[in-house]
Amino acid sequence: MAEQIFQLSVITPDRSILEAEASFCAFPAHDGEIGIRAHRAPLLVKLGTGWLRAQTTEGDHRLLVDGGFAQMVGNQLSVLTEFAQRSDEIDSARAQENLAAVEAMPTADEIQFAARQRALARARAALKAG
Amino acid sequence: MANRRVLVKRRDAVRNIRKITRTMQLIATARFQAAHTRANASRPYSEKLAEVVSDLAAAAEGIDHPLMRQPEEIDRSALVVISSSRGLCGSFNTNVLKVATNHLDGQEKEGIQTDVYMARKKGIAYFDFLKREIAQELVEIGDMPEFGEIEPIASALMDRFIRGEIASAHVAYTRFISSGRQEAEVVQLLPLARHEPAEGESKRAVDYEFSPDPKELLEELLPTTVRLRLFQAFSDAAISEQIARMVAMKAATDAAEDKIKLLSREYNRARQTAITMELLDIVGGATALA
Repeated sequence: MAEQIFQLSVITPDRSILEAEASFCAFPAHDGEIGIRAHRAPLLVKLGTGWLRAQTTEGDHRLLVDGGFAQMVGNQLSVLTEFAQRSDEIDSARAQENLAAVEAMPTADEIQFAARQRALARARAALKAG
Repeated sequence: MANRRVLVKRRDAVRNIRKITRTMQLIATARFQAAHTRANASRPYSEKLAEVVSDLAAAAEGIDHPLMRQPEEIDRSALVVISSSRGLCGSFNTNVLKVATNHLDGQEKEGIQTDVYMARKKGIAYFDFLKREIAQELVEIGDMPEFGEIEPIASALMDRFIRGEIASAHVAYTRFISSGRQEAEVVQLLPLARHEPAEGESKRAVDYEFSPDPKELLEELLPTTVRLRLFQAFSDAAISEQIARMVAMKAATDAAEDKIKLLSREYNRARQTAITMELLDIVGGATALA
Protein backbone atom coordinates (compact mmCIF):
# COMPACT_ATOMS: atom_id res chain seq x y z
CA MET A 1 0.00 0.00 0.00
CA ALA A 2 1.24 3.42 -0.85
CA GLU A 3 2.29 5.49 2.11
CA GLN A 4 -0.39 7.78 3.43
CA ILE A 5 0.38 11.45 3.05
CA PHE A 6 -0.86 14.75 4.44
CA GLN A 7 -0.45 18.41 3.53
CA LEU A 8 2.29 20.16 5.46
CA SER A 9 2.86 23.89 5.46
CA VAL A 10 5.29 25.89 7.55
CA ILE A 11 4.45 29.59 7.48
CA THR A 12 6.09 32.67 8.96
CA PRO A 13 4.77 36.23 8.69
CA ASP A 14 7.43 36.98 6.07
CA ARG A 15 7.02 33.97 3.84
CA SER A 16 5.75 30.49 3.38
CA ILE A 17 8.84 28.47 4.08
CA LEU A 18 7.71 24.93 3.31
CA GLU A 19 4.72 23.65 1.42
CA ALA A 20 4.72 19.92 0.73
CA GLU A 21 3.03 16.57 0.93
CA ALA A 22 4.50 14.68 3.81
CA SER A 23 4.25 11.22 5.23
CA PHE A 24 5.69 12.13 8.60
CA CYS A 25 6.56 15.24 10.55
CA ALA A 26 8.01 15.69 14.00
CA PHE A 27 8.24 19.07 15.71
CA PRO A 28 9.09 20.46 19.14
CA ALA A 29 5.96 21.18 21.13
CA HIS A 30 6.07 23.26 24.30
CA ASP A 31 6.32 20.10 26.41
CA GLY A 32 8.25 17.73 24.18
CA GLU A 33 8.43 16.44 20.65
CA ILE A 34 5.30 15.43 18.77
CA GLY A 35 5.25 13.23 15.69
CA ILE A 36 2.44 13.46 13.15
CA ARG A 37 1.29 11.00 10.54
CA ALA A 38 -1.52 11.30 8.03
CA HIS A 39 -5.10 11.54 9.27
CA ARG A 40 -4.21 12.42 12.80
CA ALA A 41 -7.07 13.68 14.97
CA PRO A 42 -7.41 17.50 15.11
CA LEU A 43 -4.75 19.03 17.27
CA LEU A 44 -3.78 22.54 18.30
CA VAL A 45 -0.51 22.84 20.11
CA LYS A 46 1.97 25.48 21.18
CA LEU A 47 5.50 25.07 19.88
CA GLY A 48 8.76 25.14 21.72
CA THR A 49 12.24 25.70 20.32
CA GLY A 50 14.04 23.14 18.21
CA TRP A 51 14.14 21.23 14.97
CA LEU A 52 11.19 20.28 12.87
CA ARG A 53 11.79 17.19 10.77
CA ALA A 54 9.61 16.27 7.86
CA GLN A 55 9.61 13.37 5.44
CA THR A 56 8.00 14.70 2.31
CA THR A 57 7.51 13.37 -1.17
CA GLU A 58 10.41 15.60 -2.26
CA GLY A 59 12.79 14.31 0.36
CA ASP A 60 13.55 15.15 3.95
CA HIS A 61 13.47 18.65 5.37
CA ARG A 62 14.87 20.08 8.56
CA LEU A 63 13.80 23.45 9.92
CA LEU A 64 14.70 25.31 13.06
CA VAL A 65 11.56 26.75 14.63
CA ASP A 66 11.08 28.88 17.72
CA GLY A 67 7.66 29.44 19.19
CA GLY A 68 4.32 29.58 17.46
CA PHE A 69 1.62 27.01 16.89
CA ALA A 70 0.85 23.86 15.02
CA GLN A 71 -2.61 23.04 13.85
CA MET A 72 -3.62 19.65 12.47
CA VAL A 73 -7.05 19.59 10.94
CA GLY A 74 -8.58 17.80 7.96
CA ASN A 75 -5.34 15.99 7.10
CA GLN A 76 -3.47 19.27 6.90
CA LEU A 77 -0.74 20.28 9.28
CA SER A 78 -0.04 24.00 9.48
CA VAL A 79 2.91 25.19 11.48
CA LEU A 80 2.70 28.90 12.29
CA THR A 81 5.88 30.31 13.67
CA GLU A 82 7.45 33.73 13.92
CA PHE A 83 10.86 32.27 13.37
CA ALA A 84 11.83 29.44 11.04
CA GLN A 85 15.07 28.70 9.27
CA ARG A 86 16.09 25.89 6.94
CA SER A 87 19.03 23.80 8.01
CA ASP A 88 21.01 24.88 4.91
CA GLU A 89 20.50 28.54 5.81
CA ILE A 90 22.30 28.12 9.07
CA ASP A 91 26.01 28.70 9.10
CA SER A 92 27.63 27.00 12.05
CA ALA A 93 30.39 29.61 12.49
CA ARG A 94 27.80 32.38 12.57
CA ALA A 95 25.68 30.35 14.96
CA GLN A 96 28.66 29.98 17.27
CA GLU A 97 29.28 33.73 17.20
CA ASN A 98 25.62 34.31 17.84
CA LEU A 99 25.70 32.06 20.88
CA ALA A 100 28.64 34.00 22.29
CA ALA A 101 26.76 37.26 21.73
CA VAL A 102 23.67 35.90 23.38
CA GLU A 103 25.63 34.65 26.36
CA ALA A 104 26.90 38.18 26.86
CA MET A 105 23.38 39.58 27.08
CA PRO A 106 22.64 41.47 30.30
CA THR A 107 20.51 39.85 32.97
CA ALA A 108 19.80 42.83 35.18
CA ASP A 109 16.11 42.20 35.64
CA GLU A 110 13.53 39.52 35.04
CA ILE A 111 12.54 40.72 31.58
CA GLN A 112 16.13 40.76 30.39
CA PHE A 113 16.70 37.37 31.94
CA ALA A 114 13.67 35.89 30.16
CA ALA A 115 14.77 37.42 26.85
CA ARG A 116 18.24 35.97 27.32
CA GLN A 117 16.90 32.52 28.13
CA ARG A 118 14.79 32.55 25.01
CA ALA A 119 17.61 33.72 22.78
CA LEU A 120 19.90 31.18 24.40
CA ALA A 121 17.53 28.31 23.66
CA ARG A 122 17.35 29.39 20.02
CA ALA A 123 21.08 29.88 19.66
CA ARG A 124 21.82 26.48 21.21
CA ALA A 125 19.25 24.76 19.02
CA ALA A 126 20.82 26.35 15.95
CA LEU A 127 24.14 24.77 16.86
CA LYS A 128 22.61 21.36 17.37
CA ALA A 129 22.49 20.71 13.67
CA GLY A 130 21.33 17.27 14.47
CA MET B 1 19.09 86.30 -30.14
CA ALA B 2 19.62 85.98 -26.40
CA ASN B 3 15.99 85.10 -25.78
CA ARG B 4 16.28 82.00 -27.96
CA ARG B 5 19.31 80.71 -26.14
CA VAL B 6 17.51 81.11 -22.82
CA LEU B 7 14.58 79.11 -24.14
CA VAL B 8 16.85 76.30 -25.32
CA LYS B 9 18.53 76.18 -21.93
CA ARG B 10 15.25 76.03 -20.09
CA ARG B 11 13.96 73.30 -22.35
CA ASP B 12 17.08 71.24 -21.71
CA ALA B 13 16.65 71.71 -17.97
CA VAL B 14 13.03 70.54 -18.10
CA ARG B 15 14.09 67.57 -20.23
CA ASN B 16 16.57 66.57 -17.55
CA ILE B 17 13.92 66.84 -14.89
CA ARG B 18 11.63 64.67 -16.95
CA LYS B 19 14.34 62.06 -17.26
CA ILE B 20 14.76 62.00 -13.49
CA THR B 21 11.09 61.88 -12.61
CA ARG B 22 10.46 59.16 -15.16
CA THR B 23 13.25 57.07 -13.67
CA MET B 24 11.86 57.62 -10.20
CA GLN B 25 8.47 56.54 -11.42
CA LEU B 26 9.93 53.32 -12.78
CA ILE B 27 11.82 52.66 -9.56
CA ALA B 28 8.67 53.24 -7.52
CA THR B 29 6.80 50.81 -9.76
CA ALA B 30 9.41 48.12 -9.19
CA ARG B 31 9.43 48.76 -5.43
CA PHE B 32 5.66 48.68 -5.36
CA GLN B 33 5.66 45.27 -6.96
CA ALA B 34 8.24 44.00 -4.50
CA ALA B 35 6.27 45.36 -1.54
CA HIS B 36 3.10 43.88 -2.90
CA THR B 37 4.64 40.44 -3.28
CA ARG B 38 5.92 40.62 0.27
CA ALA B 39 2.52 41.59 1.59
CA ASN B 40 1.00 38.67 -0.26
CA ALA B 41 3.61 36.35 1.21
CA SER B 42 2.40 37.22 4.70
CA ARG B 43 -1.23 36.59 3.84
CA PRO B 44 -1.29 32.81 4.50
CA TYR B 45 0.05 33.43 7.98
CA SER B 46 -2.51 36.05 8.92
CA GLU B 47 -5.38 34.03 7.49
CA LYS B 48 -4.34 30.91 9.36
CA LEU B 49 -3.84 32.90 12.54
CA ALA B 50 -7.31 34.40 12.31
CA GLU B 51 -8.72 30.91 11.80
CA VAL B 52 -6.91 29.52 14.82
CA VAL B 53 -7.98 32.46 16.99
CA SER B 54 -11.62 32.02 16.07
CA ASP B 55 -11.45 28.25 16.67
CA LEU B 56 -9.88 28.91 20.04
CA ALA B 57 -12.24 31.67 21.04
CA ALA B 58 -15.10 29.24 20.43
CA ALA B 59 -13.46 26.68 22.68
CA ALA B 60 -12.42 29.06 25.46
CA GLU B 61 -15.56 30.85 26.55
CA GLY B 62 -15.32 33.98 28.63
CA ILE B 63 -11.68 34.72 28.21
CA ASP B 64 -10.27 37.61 30.15
CA HIS B 65 -6.83 38.44 28.92
CA PRO B 66 -4.78 41.41 30.14
CA LEU B 67 -4.38 42.59 26.53
CA MET B 68 -8.15 42.81 26.16
CA ARG B 69 -8.93 44.63 29.37
CA GLN B 70 -9.98 48.23 29.08
CA PRO B 71 -7.97 50.00 31.74
CA GLU B 72 -9.36 52.96 33.64
CA GLU B 73 -7.89 56.13 34.99
CA ILE B 74 -4.70 56.13 33.01
CA ASP B 75 -3.96 59.47 31.39
CA ARG B 76 -1.39 58.20 28.94
CA SER B 77 -1.55 56.42 25.64
CA ALA B 78 0.73 55.59 22.75
CA LEU B 79 0.61 56.25 19.05
CA VAL B 80 2.83 54.70 16.40
CA VAL B 81 3.07 56.90 13.31
CA ILE B 82 4.39 55.48 10.06
CA SER B 83 5.64 58.14 7.64
CA SER B 84 8.25 57.75 4.92
CA SER B 85 11.98 58.28 4.90
CA ARG B 86 11.99 59.96 1.51
CA GLY B 87 9.91 62.71 0.01
CA LEU B 88 8.59 63.19 -3.50
CA CYS B 89 5.61 61.00 -2.80
CA GLY B 90 2.77 63.45 -3.13
CA SER B 91 0.48 63.85 -0.17
CA PHE B 92 1.46 60.53 1.43
CA ASN B 93 3.12 62.08 4.48
CA THR B 94 0.73 65.02 4.71
CA ASN B 95 -2.25 62.70 4.95
CA VAL B 96 -0.87 60.30 7.51
CA LEU B 97 0.56 63.09 9.66
CA LYS B 98 -2.75 64.92 9.53
CA VAL B 99 -4.71 61.95 10.89
CA ALA B 100 -1.98 61.47 13.49
CA THR B 101 -2.11 65.07 14.74
CA ASN B 102 -5.93 64.98 14.72
CA HIS B 103 -5.80 61.88 16.87
CA LEU B 104 -3.29 63.52 19.22
CA ASP B 105 -5.44 66.63 19.55
CA GLY B 106 -8.48 64.47 20.29
CA GLN B 107 -6.60 62.59 23.00
CA GLU B 108 -5.38 65.84 24.50
CA LYS B 109 -8.92 67.17 24.75
CA GLU B 110 -9.78 64.16 26.86
CA GLY B 111 -6.83 64.94 29.06
CA ILE B 112 -4.75 62.04 27.82
CA GLN B 113 -1.07 62.45 27.15
CA THR B 114 0.13 60.51 24.14
CA ASP B 115 3.59 59.14 23.59
CA VAL B 116 4.45 59.28 19.91
CA TYR B 117 6.54 56.53 18.37
CA MET B 118 7.61 57.98 15.05
CA ALA B 119 8.86 55.81 12.25
CA ARG B 120 11.02 57.41 9.56
CA LYS B 121 12.54 60.77 8.80
CA LYS B 122 9.76 62.81 7.26
CA GLY B 123 7.48 62.43 10.24
CA ILE B 124 10.29 63.26 12.62
CA ALA B 125 11.09 66.43 10.68
CA TYR B 126 7.44 67.47 10.63
CA PHE B 127 6.97 66.99 14.36
CA ASP B 128 10.17 68.92 15.02
CA PHE B 129 8.73 71.73 12.92
CA LEU B 130 5.47 71.67 14.90
CA LYS B 131 7.45 71.49 18.14
CA ARG B 132 5.53 68.40 19.13
CA GLU B 133 7.16 65.83 21.27
CA ILE B 134 8.30 62.45 20.01
CA ALA B 135 8.74 59.84 22.72
CA GLN B 136 10.79 57.53 20.56
CA GLU B 137 12.17 57.61 17.06
CA LEU B 138 11.97 54.18 15.51
CA VAL B 139 15.14 54.58 13.52
CA GLU B 140 15.98 50.90 13.38
CA ILE B 141 13.11 50.06 11.05
CA GLY B 142 14.00 49.81 7.37
CA ASP B 143 11.85 50.81 4.42
CA MET B 144 10.68 47.28 3.85
CA PRO B 145 10.67 45.92 7.36
CA GLU B 146 10.69 42.25 8.18
CA PHE B 147 8.67 40.78 10.94
CA GLY B 148 11.70 40.54 13.20
CA GLU B 149 12.19 44.32 13.07
CA ILE B 150 8.62 45.08 14.12
CA GLU B 151 8.43 42.56 16.90
CA PRO B 152 10.41 44.51 19.54
CA ILE B 153 8.19 47.59 19.22
CA ALA B 154 4.99 45.58 19.49
CA SER B 155 6.39 43.75 22.49
CA ALA B 156 7.44 47.00 24.15
CA LEU B 157 3.96 48.45 23.66
CA MET B 158 2.33 45.33 25.10
CA ASP B 159 4.68 45.45 28.06
CA ARG B 160 3.77 49.04 28.80
CA PHE B 161 0.09 48.27 28.39
CA ILE B 162 0.15 45.33 30.76
CA ARG B 163 2.13 47.29 33.32
CA GLY B 164 -0.63 49.90 33.23
CA GLU B 165 1.52 52.72 31.87
CA ILE B 166 -0.65 53.32 28.84
CA ALA B 167 -4.40 53.09 28.44
CA SER B 168 -4.33 52.34 24.75
CA ALA B 169 -2.08 52.06 21.74
CA HIS B 170 -2.96 53.19 18.25
CA VAL B 171 -1.15 53.18 14.96
CA ALA B 172 -1.45 55.85 12.26
CA TYR B 173 -0.60 54.49 8.83
CA THR B 174 -1.79 54.48 5.25
CA ARG B 175 -3.99 51.53 4.55
CA PHE B 176 -3.64 49.86 1.20
CA ILE B 177 -7.15 49.13 -0.07
CA SER B 178 -6.41 48.70 -3.75
CA SER B 179 -3.82 50.06 -6.13
CA GLY B 180 -6.27 52.87 -6.83
CA ARG B 181 -7.13 53.64 -3.22
CA GLN B 182 -5.08 54.15 -0.09
CA GLU B 183 -6.35 55.81 3.02
CA ALA B 184 -4.56 57.26 5.98
CA GLU B 185 -6.16 56.05 9.19
CA VAL B 186 -5.63 55.52 12.89
CA VAL B 187 -6.46 52.07 14.21
CA GLN B 188 -6.49 50.73 17.70
CA LEU B 189 -3.83 48.18 18.53
CA LEU B 190 -4.48 47.86 22.25
CA PRO B 191 -6.62 46.91 24.04
CA LEU B 192 -7.38 44.13 21.61
CA ALA B 193 -10.92 44.12 20.34
CA ARG B 194 -12.82 41.02 21.30
CA HIS B 195 -13.21 38.59 18.48
CA GLU B 196 -16.77 38.72 17.21
CA PRO B 197 -17.54 36.08 14.66
CA ALA B 198 -18.48 37.96 11.50
CA GLU B 199 -21.95 37.41 10.22
CA GLY B 200 -22.21 34.58 7.79
CA GLU B 201 -19.04 33.10 9.23
CA SER B 202 -20.04 29.55 9.90
CA LYS B 203 -18.86 28.31 13.22
CA ARG B 204 -16.72 25.32 12.51
CA ALA B 205 -16.89 23.03 15.41
CA VAL B 206 -13.60 21.19 15.26
CA ASP B 207 -13.02 18.87 18.14
CA TYR B 208 -9.40 19.74 18.78
CA GLU B 209 -7.00 18.14 21.09
CA PHE B 210 -5.46 21.14 22.86
CA SER B 211 -2.08 21.37 24.42
CA PRO B 212 -1.84 23.33 26.68
CA ASP B 213 -5.51 24.11 27.38
CA PRO B 214 -7.36 26.56 25.09
CA LYS B 215 -7.16 29.43 27.54
CA GLU B 216 -3.42 29.24 27.84
CA LEU B 217 -3.05 28.83 24.09
CA LEU B 218 -5.12 31.91 23.50
CA GLU B 219 -2.98 33.86 25.88
CA GLU B 220 -0.02 32.96 23.71
CA LEU B 221 -1.84 33.77 20.51
CA LEU B 222 -3.10 37.23 21.37
CA PRO B 223 0.33 38.87 21.55
CA THR B 224 1.08 37.32 18.17
CA THR B 225 -2.06 38.91 16.81
CA VAL B 226 -0.95 42.32 18.04
CA ARG B 227 2.50 41.90 16.53
CA LEU B 228 1.02 40.79 13.25
CA ARG B 229 -1.32 43.76 13.13
CA LEU B 230 1.52 46.20 13.60
CA PHE B 231 3.54 44.35 10.98
CA GLN B 232 0.66 44.60 8.54
CA ALA B 233 0.36 48.32 9.19
CA PHE B 234 4.02 48.67 8.25
CA SER B 235 3.73 46.60 5.10
CA ASP B 236 0.56 48.44 4.06
CA ALA B 237 2.36 51.74 4.54
CA ALA B 238 5.27 50.51 2.42
CA ILE B 239 2.96 49.63 -0.47
CA SER B 240 1.00 52.86 -0.19
CA GLU B 241 4.16 54.94 -0.15
CA GLN B 242 5.37 53.44 -3.40
CA ILE B 243 2.00 53.96 -5.04
CA ALA B 244 1.92 57.57 -3.88
CA ARG B 245 5.39 58.08 -5.30
CA MET B 246 4.43 56.42 -8.58
CA VAL B 247 1.42 58.70 -8.96
CA ALA B 248 3.37 61.83 -7.97
CA MET B 249 6.21 61.06 -10.35
CA LYS B 250 3.81 60.25 -13.18
CA ALA B 251 2.19 63.66 -12.67
CA ALA B 252 5.60 65.34 -12.60
CA THR B 253 6.67 63.60 -15.81
CA ASP B 254 3.44 64.60 -17.53
CA ALA B 255 3.81 68.20 -16.37
CA ALA B 256 7.40 68.25 -17.65
CA GLU B 257 6.23 66.97 -21.01
CA ASP B 258 3.64 69.75 -21.28
CA LYS B 259 6.25 72.29 -20.32
CA ILE B 260 8.64 70.99 -22.97
CA LYS B 261 5.94 71.31 -25.62
CA LEU B 262 5.20 74.84 -24.50
CA LEU B 263 8.87 75.85 -24.52
CA SER B 264 9.39 74.29 -27.95
CA ARG B 265 6.51 76.25 -29.34
CA GLU B 266 7.83 79.43 -27.82
CA TYR B 267 11.30 78.75 -29.18
CA ASN B 268 10.00 78.08 -32.67
CA ARG B 269 8.00 81.24 -32.61
CA ALA B 270 11.00 83.27 -31.46
CA ARG B 271 13.11 81.67 -34.19
CA GLN B 272 10.50 82.42 -36.85
CA THR B 273 10.21 86.01 -35.64
CA ALA B 274 13.96 86.42 -35.90
CA ILE B 275 14.01 85.04 -39.44
CA THR B 276 11.17 87.31 -40.47
CA MET B 277 12.97 90.28 -38.98
CA GLU B 278 16.18 89.45 -40.86
CA LEU B 279 14.28 89.02 -44.12
CA LEU B 280 12.56 92.36 -43.56
CA ASP B 281 15.97 93.92 -42.95
CA ILE B 282 17.34 92.50 -46.19
CA VAL B 283 14.28 93.39 -48.18
CA GLY B 284 14.28 96.86 -46.65
CA GLY B 285 17.99 97.33 -47.49
CA ALA B 286 17.45 96.12 -51.07
CA THR B 287 14.56 98.52 -51.64
CA ALA B 288 16.62 101.39 -50.24
CA LEU B 289 19.46 100.64 -52.71
CA ALA B 290 17.18 100.22 -55.70
